[in-house]
Amino acid sequence: MKIFNSIKWRLQIWYGLIFVIVLAGFGFTAYQLERGRLLGRIDNELHRRVGILANALRPPPPRDLNGNEQPFDRPPPGQFPDDGPPRHPPRPLLVFHLPPEDAHFFDPNEPNSFYYSIQDLHGKRNWHSDNNPNYDPKSLLAISVNDSLRLTYREIENLLPSDKEISVGCSIAPELKELRLTALKLAGFGGIVLIFGLAGGWWLVSRAIRPIEDISATAVKISAGDLSQRINIAEAGSELGQLAGVLNSTFARLEAAFAQQQQFTSDAAHELRTPVSVMLTQTQAALTRDRDAASYKQTVEACQRAAQRMRKLIESLLALARFDAGQEVLKRLRFDLRATIGECVELVKPLADEHGVKISVAGGSLEITGDSERLAQVVTNLLTNAIQYNRPEGEVRVKLEPQGGLAVLTVADTGQGIAAEDLPRVFERFYRADESRSSANNGLGLAISKAIVEAHGGTIEVSSAEGAATTFTVRLPV
Amino acid sequence: MRILIVEDEPDLLASLARALREEGYAVDTAADGEDGFFKAESYDYDAVVLDVMLPKLDGWEILRRVRKAKRTPVLMLTARDQTRDRVKGLDTGADDYLVKPFDLPELFARLRALIRRSADKTTNRIEIGEVLIDTAARHVLLRDKPVELTAREYALVEFLALHRGEVVTRTQFYEHLFDENESSLSNLLDVHVSNVRKKLGAEFITTRRGHGYCIEG
Repeated sequence: MKIFNSIKWRLQIWYGLIFVIVLAGFGFTAYQLERGRLLGRIDNELHRRVGILANALRPPPPRDLNGNEQPFDRPPPGQFPDDGPPRHPPRPLLVFHLPPEDAHFFDPNEPNSFYYSIQDLHGKRNWHSDNNPNYDPKSLLAISVNDSLRLTYREIENLLPSDKEISVGCSIAPELKELRLTALKLAGFGGIVLIFGLAGGWWLVSRAIRPIEDISATAVKISAGDLSQRINIAEAGSELGQLAGVLNSTFARLEAAFAQQQQFTSDAAHELRTPVSVMLTQTQAALTRDRDAASYKQTVEACQRAAQRMRKLIESLLALARFDAGQEVLKRLRFDLRATIGECVELVKPLADEHGVKISVAGGSLEITGDSERLAQVVTNLLTNAIQYNRPEGEVRVKLEPQGGLAVLTVADTGQGIAAEDLPRVFERFYRADESRSSANNGLGLAISKAIVEAHGGTIEVSSAEGAATTFTVRLPV
Repeated sequence: MRILIVEDEPDLLASLARALREEGYAVDTAADGEDGFFKAESYDYDAVVLDVMLPKLDGWEILRRVRKAKRTPVLMLTARDQTRDRVKGLDTGADDYLVKPFDLPELFARLRALIRRSADKTTNRIEIGEVLIDTAARHVLLRDKPVELTAREYALVEFLALHRGEVVTRTQFYEHLFDENESSLSNLLDVHVSNVRKKLGAEFITTRRGHGYCIEG
């Protein structure tokens, strides 16, 4: 179910549920209080009337001096004809009349009239007012009243010490109507509050959830390939704002890494295009007609040079890939770095002679632990660069010295230097000081050197005085 | 037809120059941007093949500068095949664009098309009396029979045909048919003209004494 998976809906449902319970509790209490109030008022009236009846039933005061009896002891003629002679005391109640001064309490003409009944438990006699709904007003017999009707009446009964039971009742239909109205009002009011509450809650939840929706929408676009998307952070201070900030910086790093990777791939492809063009044009041109052996030899040599260049590029790319993946296994052996430098200088001597560049090496032997072949690659690379980017008749000064537990190697040339804005980029892959390619250099040498030095736990830096000199400094742990 | 190739990869430059010479073009070469710009500005080439990534002065810059003064057709060679680069090249004023690595026959075809367009010709066939010149196949028919011409002779015929009705001066011939290594003092041109007349008829090329040669319109 989609709705139940949505945080927004789940929050809304829980919130609505709690809201309904609170409102229902409140409404029920209010209803009960109102009901208690109304019924309490009626009960008061009923009790008052029970008191009046009880008073009226009290045994008469002693006969007065004239021997006159109280009028209510005397049954009206013709009523209760089978009654026995009155007894004293207690005198059987033969007939009951409301005292006139109390009659208005049971006025049947009042819209909400009270009724009564009096039962003599011994004599099984019954008196009741005409409007008593429990009795048929014609036959004076008790009738069975159905429950629903009974519910609209309220009665209280009181057993007097004289074994007479008084019940007083009245219709509570108006009160019930009022209560129903109150209940309706409460329900209506509660409904309105609930609607407003739910709407407010929906608004709040939506507001709270919106950053999440933004985040998810952005993430969807990013996973669809548009890495330039960022989450729009409205409130940077809130928890979600912070999360969005963290995600944005992650996206930025992802985009940068992706762009770097793309650039690298594109550069690598670009580097391969030129040697492939050479091979294609050379071979296609050679094959257009029959040629002499020297011409074919020329073509084959050009193809070989192109292939060598591609091999060098592929080796460099593989080396970088291994360093990137941390798969390059370095030998850890003690060796004399000074001796390695000497070998490297010998190796680049022909190139130096070709450019008329002199190489000088300063410093005594210095043993370090590491991969001598890989470090020789670094030294050769630095020397080759120093020769190629030197001025004619320039110098390359190599210096090796121990410094605070580190072996510090500096290679300085007397070339044109590197512009300050380009300095941070020299270790980037495929970066070249001048944009054109020269077949001796694929732009990966310094990137590989950096990877090798860092794999040894060392650092490599460059400093340059523009127009005068460039110095590479390699620091390696001893 | 004289073509300038500006390319810094020596093996590529050499093979392109050789292949285009074999096609009968006069070919000049430049290995860096400065030299390339100097040559492109100094001569009226029939087409320039220009690499984008060059030392000293890149291809875009050369193109921009050359376009200020000349309408020489330029074919850009580049290792970048992104649309952005192609659009940039064409917007800067390149006439065509070829991505490395390319096939030689395609380069030849594009160069022929460039030269033909710059001479305001829309077809590969030029008919002059009984002579039919097919610039795509690079051959000449006389009364529907193929005529054997050397590459240089063919170039001379094609050049005159493309400038039909105009007098082509010796200087123009040397600028367009011979490259920088050949001396304009030689009588090479007269030898070629004489050979063409032998093969296509003496009246095919008219001599305007003191001016040059011409194919009458």
